[in-house]
Amino acid sequence: MIQTQNLWKAVTRLALTLVVSLALAAGLAAAAIAQDETPPDELVRNVAGTLLDDLNANTDVYQADPTQVEALVRRVLMPALDVEYSARLILGRAGRGATPEQIAAFADTVSNVLIERYASGMLEYGNREQLEVLPLRGDLNERATRVRTRVRMLNGNQLPVDYVFRRTDEGWKAFDVVVEGISYVTTYRNQIQPQVLESGIDAVTERLARGELELSE
Amino acid sequence: MMTSLRSPWLRLPLLVATLFLTACAGTQSRNTDPVNDPWEGYNRKMHAFNMGLDKYVARPLAVGYDRITPDPIQRGIGNFFRNLNYPVTGLNQLLQGKFDEFGESTERFLANTIFGLLGFIDIASMGNVPQHDEDFGQTLAVWGWEDSRYFVLPVLGPRTVRDTLGRSFYGFFHPISYAAREEGIYWPIAADLLQVRAALLPQDQAMLESYDPYVFVRDAWLQRREFLIYDGDPPELDYDAFLEELEE
Repeated sequence: MIQTQNLWKAVTRLALTLVVSLALAAGLAAAAIAQDETPPDELVRNVAGTLLDDLNANTDVYQADPTQVEALVRRVLMPALDVEYSARLILGRAGRGATPEQIAAFADTVSNVLIERYASGMLEYGNREQLEVLPLRGDLNERATRVRTRVRMLNGNQLPVDYVFRRTDEGWKAFDVVVEGISYVTTYRNQIQPQVLESGIDAVTERLARGELELSE
Repeated sequence: MMTSLRSPWLRLPLLVATLFLTACAGTQSRNTDPVNDPWEGYNRKMHAFNMGLDKYVARPLAVGYDRITPDPIQRGIGNFFRNLNYPVTGLNQLLQGKFDEFGESTERFLANTIFGLLGFIDIASMGNVPQHDEDFGQTLAVWGWEDSRYFVLPVLGPRTVRDTLGRSFYGFFHPISYAAREEGIYWPIAADLLQVRAALLPQDQAMLESYDPYVFVRDAWLQRREFLIYDGDPPELDYDAFLEELEE
């Protein structure tokens, strides 16, 4: 009788352990998936929220040393971007025959220019403007989706700013920003392509890095 | 941000010149380039002329205005001129069959004119009345003239042929050009140009720094125009085509 009881206890304990560990594993897996699959609109909200909170909390630090803003933007914003994909779109036919290393170097340089500019803009306007993220439209399972936002400007106007996302192995990542219908990728393309065709990708990357070549948004 | 230079008047000579140019170019083959700009040679020259005029006349005046006018006053003046556009916007909404939007534009105009000191205070925005932007060029696009070639006008700047025609119609109905045409009062035109130019001052840096300011202004203007024609919801860009170009 006692033996049976012990056996029963052991079985129950085993079953319980199994159930708990299974639940834990499922929970972890779910968490992992959720991590990867943060919907793009939530990503925009998270990134903007983190940036603004940090800026507002440490205004003195950033006013004293603006390079810190660049570091902050790089840390928070970059993981949500697919700069190499943007670079490919910008290069288009001008990038034919370029090695993956050349494209990566070009992407790196373009993103540095952008971060610099974004950071100075953040410092100037960041905490005074309000961001509203509109509800997503369309199917989230598509390969690409667009997050629409409205930025309320100082003069009361609302500026429409859209982020175009694509699904990657590491979750959703943005590759284009569209301000009032004006796409960064398209505008860069038409400025960059003729130069790459004329003097080659390495020369253009180098000029960008040296700040000799300015990009407009 | 690029804001289109809204210049609601257009003189007859310009219209005639445009029609003449259009007629001359009628025999040209259609440009297959994604950017419809077969008159790039002429356009670049006119762009350079406009830039010179801007540098030595318009910009210095706008900088002066911006310096002596406090921000809230500038905002009020901007509101005043924007409010005067709503009757023309409403008319074009009727022409496009956008009846709900017509109601909203009418509500905006009445609220701002009656309760907002003739439009200096944007009461309608405080009440969240949606704001629209329509003109006859957009109406022509909605009616089917979707693709029109880029055309830089003297002084007035970027247009397409379609929007050049559209603006002349627009100007006919606009209160400010009515005042100039019928009453001979020209200062509101000058004031509007000045305040619009002043509002664009923050964009100057981006344009001057661009590798090719002509291409930058053209592409930004055409994209924003498309955005307005589709009421803020243009068809998605064909990113896949960009990528295929690279991988071909």
